[in-house]
Amino acid sequence: MNAHATHAAAPDDALDAERFPTLTGHGRRMLDFLRNHPHAPVYRNRSGNRLLAHEVEAQRAYEDQILAAPVGWTPGTVPDWVAPFVAHVFATVPHYRALGSPPRRLTDVAPVGRADFAADVAQFVPDDVPLERMMHFRTTGTTGHPLLIPSHPVVAARYAAYHKRALARAGIAPAAGRGRVGVVLLGCQRRCFTYVSVSPAMGEAGLAKINLHPDDWRDPGDRARYLDALAPEIVAGDPISFAEYLTLPLTTAPRALLSVSMQLLPGLRARLEARFGCPVLDIYSLNEVGPVGVFDPAAGGHVLLQPRLYVEILDAAGRPCTPGQAGEIAVTGGFNFCLPLLRYRTGDFGALASGPDGPVLTGLSGRRPVRYRARGAWINNIDVTHALLPFPLSHFNVHQRADASVVLRLAAGALPWAGDAGTALARVFGTRVDVETLEADGKTLQYTSDMEGAHDG
Amino acid sequence: MNDDGPDLDGLTRRLAETPPEFLDEPVVAGGGRVAVAAVVNDLLRLHGARAQLEALAPFAGTDPRADRNRLALVLVIAWLLADENFLVLAPGQAALLDALAGVAQELAPAAPAHRYVEDTERREELARTLLARLGLRPYGETPAQAADRLAAVSGEQRRRLLAASRAAERRAREIREALARKAAEESADKWTRE
Repeated sequence: MNAHATHAAAPDDALDAERFPTLTGHGRRMLDFLRNHPHAPVYRNRSGNRLLAHEVEAQRAYEDQILAAPVGWTPGTVPDWVAPFVAHVFATVPHYRALGSPPRRLTDVAPVGRADFAADVAQFVPDDVPLERMMHFRTTGTTGHPLLIPSHPVVAARYAAYHKRALARAGIAPAAGRGRVGVVLLGCQRRCFTYVSVSPAMGEAGLAKINLHPDDWRDPGDRARYLDALAPEIVAGDPISFAEYLTLPLTTAPRALLSVSMQLLPGLRARLEARFGCPVLDIYSLNEVGPVGVFDPAAGGHVLLQPRLYVEILDAAGRPCTPGQAGEIAVTGGFNFCLPLLRYRTGDFGALASGPDGPVLTGLSGRRPVRYRARGAWINNIDVTHALLPFPLSHFNVHQRADASVVLRLAAGALPWAGDAGTALARVFGTRVDVETLEADGKTLQYTSDMEGAHDG
Repeated sequence: MNDDGPDLDGLTRRLAETPPEFLDEPVVAGGGRVAVAAVVNDLLRLHGARAQLEALAPFAGTDPRADRNRLALVLVIAWLLADENFLVLAPGQAALLDALAGVAQELAPAAPAHRYVEDTERREELARTLLARLGLRPYGETPAQAADRLAAVSGEQRRRLLAASRAAERRAREIREALARKAAEESADKWTRE
C-alpha cells in the first residue's frame, strides 16, 4: 500500500461497515484498487453508499421503474398524482400543516423558495421520515447563502436512475459491474470533497470522486495514468473540470460524459465529443431537486427526466406563465422523500414547451435573465451566448458596468480565445470589450450588469 | 350559556353538509378565490345587520401562515350562522362579528378547516364553541350540562394542541440535530454533484 495514496487522516475502517453495509470481497478489492493504485490521488474524505441489503434490491427495481415511466403530462396540465401528493404534504409537513386544509388547486399553494428552506428547513421535513440515517447535502448556490438539504442514502442512490434514463436517450445502457469502474466524478477546485466507493446495485462497480487540481496529485501526470487505469464507463463533471480533462493525454475514453451544475456551451461540448467520441449529456440538476432534465438539441432544450416532478413556469408574482413564456422554474414532487417539494422556486429561468418525449425546458438560464445595453437598445443575454458559441469556454462572465462599458472575464485556460471572443462580443455591443482573467473557483454568474434597468426586461 | 339555542344535531348535520363554495380557497395575499370579508358582509345582511368597512378588516388576509386556515374556518362558521335557527335568534351585528372572528381564532390552530366539516368530534366542538360564544346552549341541555360538555371538548382540544406543539418542537430539534451530525458530511454517493 502506498501511504501517499491513502486517506490523509487516520484510517477509520471500523466505519466502513456503516459506509458499505453490503460490502463483499469483490467490493473490498475495488475500494483497495481505487485507493491504493500507485497513481491514485490523495483521497481527502471517506464516503459510502450506506445502502442496506433490501435497499439495494429496491434500488434495482426503482431504476427499472424510472427507465420505463413516462413523464405523462403536458405543460399547463397538472397530472393526477399531484392532488393526493399535495394532500399528503399538507398532512405531514409542518410548514404546510400550519396553512390548514390542502387546497383544491395546485395554484392555490403559495410557492416557496430557497430563503424559506434557509430560514428553517426542518419545517419542510415530513413527520414520517425516520431521522436515524438522515444526512445532508450542503449547497451554497450562486447567492452564497449556505443551505443544508436533508437527504438519505436511498435518495442519493436514486440519482443513478435518472442518469440512466438520460443515458438511455443517447442509446447507452450502463453495464459496468464487478471489477469495473462505473463512474468517476471530476472536480477541479483547490479544495474538493474526494472519496472512493462502490455501487452495490451494479455489482459493486467502482465509483470515485477525484479532483483534477494538480495539488491533489503527487505528479500531475498521474491524473491521466490513473484515469486510464480506472477506464470508467461514465465520467461526470462540470464545464470547468471537463476543460481540464480535455488537456490530459488519455488513451481511454468513457462511453458518455455527464455535465452538471453549469451551462455547457456548444463549443466545449463539441470539443469533448470530438476528443472522446462519445455523447456529452448536459444535465440540469440541483441539490434541492436532483436531475431535472437532459439537454437534447433535437428537442430544443432540456427534456424532463423525473416522471414524478411537475414543472411550472412562474412570473414574478408567482402566477403561472402562459405556455412558451419564459419565467422562473418551479417544481412540485421529486424523489427526495426527506424534502417533498410544492411549487419550489428554483431560482433558475426558462420556458416550457411540448416535445415528442414529454415536456422540454427551453432557454434554460441559471439565473434571472440579464439584458444588456447595446447600440442604444436592450439585448438579451441569449444574444451574448450566441456570440460566444464558437469558443470552447468552460466558464466566463460578461459584465456591463454602470457606464455601459463591457468586460469579458475568462478562465486562465481560455485566455487564448480572448482576442477572438472579445471581438465577437464587440460586434454585438458595438463598443470595445475589455478582457480580464476570471478569478473564480466553482460556480460563476455568467451574466451580470450594474446598469440601471438590466433586470427589468 | 343561559339562553336556549338550536339543536346540536341539526347544527352538526348542517356542518356535515357544508357546500363546496364555503370550503373554497380564501383570498389571502393576492391568492385564493373567496373574499371572506364579502361573505361575512352577506351574512350580516342576511341577519338584517350592517357593518362598516373597518369592522370587516379582520376577515381580510395578508399572511398565508397566519390567516389562511383562520379565514377558511370563518367561511365554515358563516355557513353555520346562516342557519334558519340563528336567523330567528337574531344575535345582532356585534355578536355575529365577535363569534366569527373569535371562534375561528380559537379553533384554527387546532385543526385544518375541513376537519370541522368532516370529523364528527370536530363538528361538535365547533358547534358547541360557537353556541357558547353567542351565550347559547344546545337545545335540550341544561346550562350545567352544556358547560360540562364544552369544557370536555375544549379541554381535550387544549391537551391536543399542547401535545402537538411539544411534539413539533421536539421533532424540529431532532431534525436540526440529525442534519448537523458530523457523519452527515460524509454523505453517500451520488453519480453527480451539483
